[in-house]
Amino acid sequence: MLFPLLIAAVNAASLNRTIDLPGFPPVDSFLQFLLPATVIQGVLFGGIVGGADVALDIQNGFFDRLLSSPVARPAILLGRLGGAVVLGAVQALFFLVVFVVFGATIEGGVAAVAVLVVVAMILALAVGGFAAAVGLRTGSQEAVQNFFPLVFVMLFISSAFFPTTLMNGWFRWVAERNPLSWLINSVRDLVIYGFDGADAIRAVGIAAGLALITVAMAAGQLRRRVRAV
Amino acid sequence: MTAQVSTSSGSARASAANPALASSAAVWPVAWAMARRSTVGTLRIPASVVPMIVMPLFFVVAFGGAFSAVTMLPGFPTSNILNWVAPFAVLQGASFAGFGSAFSVGRDLENGFYDRLLMAPTRRVALMLGALLYSAMRAMVPVVIVVPAVLLAGVTIDGGLAGVAMLVVAAVGVAISSGMWGLGVVYRTRTQRAGGLIQVGIFAAMFLSIGTVPLSAMEGTWLYWVARLNPITQVLEMARSGFVGQVAWAEVWPGLVALAFLFVVLGTFAWRAFRRLDQ
Repeated sequence: MLFPLLIAAVNAASLNRTIDLPGFPPVDSFLQFLLPATVIQGVLFGGIVGGADVALDIQNGFFDRLLSSPVARPAILLGRLGGAVVLGAVQALFFLVVFVVFGATIEGGVAAVAVLVVVAMILALAVGGFAAAVGLRTGSQEAVQNFFPLVFVMLFISSAFFPTTLMNGWFRWVAERNPLSWLINSVRDLVIYGFDGADAIRAVGIAAGLALITVAMAAGQLRRRVRAV
Repeated sequence: MTAQVSTSSGSARASAANPALASSAAVWPVAWAMARRSTVGTLRIPASVVPMIVMPLFFVVAFGGAFSAVTMLPGFPTSNILNWVAPFAVLQGASFAGFGSAFSVGRDLENGFYDRLLMAPTRRVALMLGALLYSAMRAMVPVVIVVPAVLLAGVTIDGGLAGVAMLVVAAVGVAISSGMWGLGVVYRTRTQRAGGLIQVGIFAAMFLSIGTVPLSAMEGTWLYWVARLNPITQVLEMARSGFVGQVAWAEVWPGLVALAFLFVVLGTFAWRAFRRLDQ
């Protein structure tokens, strides 16, 4: 949780003057601009690290013991993902409190906060599903953590740390087509402009779409591993 | 390790005749053998080579792409973000060269190999110098990767060769400093699992500086004071001097003083822990 906060603290201080540049969204401060991205960044990083636990279970033999016990197979996966969802909510609330304490305003009020927490929970499910799929496929904790740089790259080439309207060339082209940008922009609009139903539905919908894909991947890999035992 | 063993035994024989002269003469060959061993160890693992090449380039692309508009800030010293970001990416890569060196010493400490090195009949300072020599050599990787890449991308280095030379000096200095910091930590913890702590220190030192924007753009924030006191700010100004204009002595000497300060403080931090290793 500290890494995203450290990045946010440094960026908020060093880039605060850029909010006056033409084309920058009408924010009170760079801290306010960073709020949604920091929540999403924290959930993404936490999800990858937490998701590696499935691979650890496989590596140390605990997963085989679970399979030999009289429990429903989906419960093994659901238990892990359920934990990730709760952690996502806790992370989101923690980041929100820290940002508000340091002066970030949320124009969308309680409704925007609720949407942000729900999005964080669904995104945690999506990342947890992806990490579980890789973990179940490879059985290697290291393989899961090797995706960490990929998450970092996706986050950097998005609107997370700077508005895409102020980017140039191919970088802007990629950033504007990155699903993380769509997600972050929707949540950011709730924080900057105030609550809007369309933004809320778009944010939840994008996160849910990602979660649907990755949980299906994880379920497929679980079936494959159970069959192989 | 053949070179090391033969050098060590040679040192022992020579020490019997003239201890002061022979032991000091044997330091650098042993340090070189240690650095060579680390280099061979790194090259044998492609997974450790790829990040050394890819990360500085990613850094240039990510920072250059995401924050290209910062050059529009009043008083920004260049209109091309790559001129601003390239030296920072090189120093970032160099700082992780020091981390890599300390990490491999941590592994040797964990598996007991370092104890055998400590028992060898050679001057111990050579072991530490070897690790730092490896850091300095590895710092050349981001230089030879990033500089040609940004030149191909259309960057003009106004300072010419002198500008590149200042970047090399800064990169080697940062690599040695981060190596000293990392060694100080692993000598105390005797484990490569302290890698996280080393990284946090390096990350903080690099980012709490003028990495993204100049000091003038931070005025009025807490970061302004932290960055002003952070010696990496002066080193970064020296590294950038030839990239944002002509190399100027006014930007070079504070960088050299900052490096000297880092060497004394972090060198003492590492050396004190090194001397206590067998206690």
